[in-house]
Amino acid sequence: MNDANDAILGARDAAASTARDAILGALEAAAPPAPDAIPRVGAGEMPADPTGVLRERLDQNGGTLVEADGADWLACLGDAFDVGSFTNVYCAQGDMVAGSDLGSRGVGATALDVHALAPLDLCVLRAQFAVVENGAAWHVPASPLERAAALLAQHLIVLVDASALVPTLHDAYAGIDLGGTGFGWFLCGPSKTADIEQALVLGAHGPCSMRLVLTSS
Amino acid sequence: MGHVSRATAFVAEADRTTWHDQVLWFVRAKRDAAADSVPEWESLRDEAAGVKRDALSRLPALWREFETRATEAGAVVHWARDAAEHNRIVGQLLEHHGAQRVVKSKSMLTEECGLNPHLETKGIEVVDTDLGERIVQLRNEPPSHIIMPAIHLKRGEIGELFHAEMEAPEGLEDPDALTAIAREDLRARFLAADAGITGVNFAVAESGSFVVVTNEGNADLGTALPRLHIACVGLEKIVPRAQDLAPFLRLLARSATGQPISTYTSHFRGPRAAENDDGPTPEQHIVIVDNGRSRLLAEPAFREALACIRCGACLNTCPVYRRSGGHSYGTTVPGPIGSVLAPSRDPARHAELPHACSLCGSCSDICPVKVPLHHQLLTWRSHLAEGGHHARRRRLAFGLAARVLGDRALYGFATRAGRAIARRLPSRWLDALGGAWSRSRAMPPIPAKSFRDQLRVREEATPEERQP
Repeated sequence: MNDANDAILGARDAAASTARDAILGALEAAAPPAPDAIPRVGAGEMPADPTGVLRERLDQNGGTLVEADGADWLACLGDAFDVGSFTNVYCAQGDMVAGSDLGSRGVGATALDVHALAPLDLCVLRAQFAVVENGAAWHVPASPLERAAALLAQHLIVLVDASALVPTLHDAYAGIDLGGTGFGWFLCGPSKTADIEQALVLGAHGPCSMRLVLTSS
Repeated sequence: MGHVSRATAFVAEADRTTWHDQVLWFVRAKRDAAADSVPEWESLRDEAAGVKRDALSRLPALWREFETRATEAGAVVHWARDAAEHNRIVGQLLEHHGAQRVVKSKSMLTEECGLNPHLETKGIEVVDTDLGERIVQLRNEPPSHIIMPAIHLKRGEIGELFHAEMEAPEGLEDPDALTAIAREDLRARFLAADAGITGVNFAVAESGSFVVVTNEGNADLGTALPRLHIACVGLEKIVPRAQDLAPFLRLLARSATGQPISTYTSHFRGPRAAENDDGPTPEQHIVIVDNGRSRLLAEPAFREALACIRCGACLNTCPVYRRSGGHSYGTTVPGPIGSVLAPSRDPARHAELPHACSLCGSCSDICPVKVPLHHQLLTWRSHLAEGGHHARRRRLAFGLAARVLGDRALYGFATRAGRAIARRLPSRWLDALGGAWSRSRAMPPIPAKSFRDQLRVREEATPEERQP
């Protein structure tokens, strides 16, 4: 905490504790009785064709599912998406494909400040797992730079191990330790908006395209 | 000015009303398809409703736990009793950090508190970064929908606005091109921002985390770039545990837009780490706001409205909202949920809103957390009547109706006299009595005999005579 904050907090201490006490007191006084037991929805069931459902859900959100054949996921992206042509790439460590020249380059390799990442063409991340029912991938950025790169890049690729699929968000949260996570997010599709006459536009503020790549080792 | 007169302005343009109605019904249809794809949908509603009601029964304990955990994670927690206190806290934080340029993601709470005008008086520039919010901000008008703020506007109007404000070519109407222009303009503002302000969709007591959901990624850019993050959260937004998030996040986007999940569902816990040693240490401040929520909690008839997760489904399904537009409500949150919330804030000013409802019950059926919205709207009508908040004309009309309907002889006389007089009146006078209803319809002809008289004749007749 810096001095400016100490000053403002110090000056406001009395007022702040008054507000806190007043609010908590009002809530105590107004508290309704506890309801009966909460009916819980349990763990989900994996559908017969998880990859098919995942593909459909991701597609609904404007993203694309890519099933990699073996470890060389780069070869499965298709000719139309030429990652070799990108000048500025952020690639999460360890996700370069052996033998390829893909890796962090340009500002993705040199940026020391999140703002310096702005002209990023491509960001490659590795997610911990993906949720079949909605196509979302759970990712915990390794650094503030990685978090910003995922937003500033024109294109986003999220890698996830093909065996790391869970059926529903109920299953997902059973495996997430929020108390031990500074920042984590579910990512599903590219940044998008429909604020102009409900017309879907991909690429609102962040990536204009998003690929979820199922990798196997 | 009440709901009816404000709605009159909106419905004056029949094409726009029809379009507005259809586009929202389209969103409602997408919601139905998404809900139908989840077999356990009703169980999710039950779980979500149960979690919220449990949380509302122990808010003080949950917020104390949240405060402890968030503080451990390095966040600074503030408490605000009302809008003025909230605005003062946010304003002082920004001033002490010397923040001049602020990017804000969508937050109905900061709208409710009037944060932007407050910060502007301090010379701080606040840019709403959600595209729809940016559009209405540039037009100096409030959002007309809680998740589609500019849904009342046509693309041509947005093109004109961007031509005037962002040097878009004249006559541009293509949504892709217009969005690209806004993207470029806002990207520069994200990069130049000194601070980011966000709302909060869910706070988690056990970990001191909070969740912010967007499709555009604007809350994320606004917190990944500047080193000061201020999150403003209403008292009703807390759930006990991380696992409690599951039913809500499975319901929220599907109810709102029919998407399986929003693009970004971000979980924050404490300030982010600094990427280098230059500049200030990143800070996260959380402002917990009451502003009438504890008062609503004390109202058994209405407290369940605090379970609302602001998905907007009740707006999309409401026949009145769809045809009268969000601005007709004159409140931050329009539609059925807005009509329930607003009278608790200012009964006299919003007394008309619970009447902007046909009691069709669609809002209660669609609500993912089972707020009994139409029951609450009906209850508000009697509360407001008892409180003397209804307009004089409505009081007189209902007083007269109660008198006549409560007295059989008087009722018989009134209907006989009414029929006799009405049958002699020119039809255009009758139509005038129908008010707005008969503006585009003719009143049906008045029969010579009442239903009771017709029935009596019919019952006395022989079966042959009864044949039509």
